[in-house]
Amino acid sequence: GDGRTAVRSAGELIAYKSVNELPPPRDMMIQVDQKNEAILLPIYGSMVPFHVATVKTVSSQQDTNRNCYIRIIFNVPGTPFTPHGTNSLKNLGAIYLKEVSFRSKDPRHISEVVQLIKTLRRNVMARESERAERAT
Amino acid sequence: MADGHLFNSISLGGRGGTNPGQLRVHSGGIAWKKQGGGKAVEVDKSDLVGLTWMKVPRSNQLGVRTRDGLNYKFTGFRDQDVSSLTTFFQTGCGILPEEKQLSVSGKNWGEVDLNGNMLAFLVGSKQAFEISLADVAQTQLQGKNDVMLEFHVDDTTGANEKDSLMEISFHVPNSNTQFLGDENRP
Repeated sequence: GDGRTAVRSAGELIAYKSVNELPPPRDMMIQVDQKNEAILLPIYGSMVPFHVATVKTVSSQQDTNRNCYIRIIFNVPGTPFTPHGTNSLKNLGAIYLKEVSFRSKDPRHISEVVQLIKTLRRNVMARESERAERAT
Repeated sequence: MADGHLFNSISLGGRGGTNPGQLRVHSGGIAWKKQGGGKAVEVDKSDLVGLTWMKVPRSNQLGVRTRDGLNYKFTGFRDQDVSSLTTFFQTGCGILPEEKQLSVSGKNWGEVDLNGNMLAFLVGSKQAFEISLADVAQTQLQGKNDVMLEFHVDDTTGANEKDSLMEISFHVPNSNTQFLGDENRP
């Protein structure tokens, strides 16, 4: 893995091909779309999709006012242990969304979302590394 | 053309989620009223500087840019509304709405475009999302390559949404040449 192997990088995974494939907009809350391996984030009144393979870590935290926070960190080049390979060369010059943090009034929903993202991410990453191994 | 068009379930999108309401497009401009009263938006024809259409899931979104740099986003238009309104804006205001495309590929890398006080994140020239810099409480440079934007927090934040955006950060690699040597901008 020095970047020259035929690794199918996270960059080739697409969440949706067209606007109409997105789930119908529901409440403005974080959603996980298992079928399309995507997370949808409410940003300025729109649900914005990200493929789960772009996610590096997800965590949640609760404060004393019963507010709950969720932090999602995305893969960016230049940090150790990110599965980028050739990807970062291909995207030379690009700007990356690195991190988002949301406040929620619903701790149960947040812990569910964190679990769903973690599981989905693990499954997708396992499948992709298996695929990469078979390819070599 | 005196009375114009009236649309009933049009929501105004923004920092705090979306608000349902009623939009009237008339010869004098654009007027939106929140359902049940409260917030209202009025844009005089002479203050209109740009209009955009974007296809969003199950609907169409109208972007309205005003002379003083404000940017309103109205969602809830059917496909047939888009064509009738486009004609109306063209003949009534002399503005041809620009077509924007929404990025749904789910990638987290692209370009940042600053226009007025709006920051748009574009993936392959399609728009993934837009945020208003007017809502940013503070920006922080983290390390050499990361820019963090923190949003204002108050009691009304998240009144219409369950999860509200508090912070967002962008990673600008050294290979990026767009914002080279300009420390005041992300």
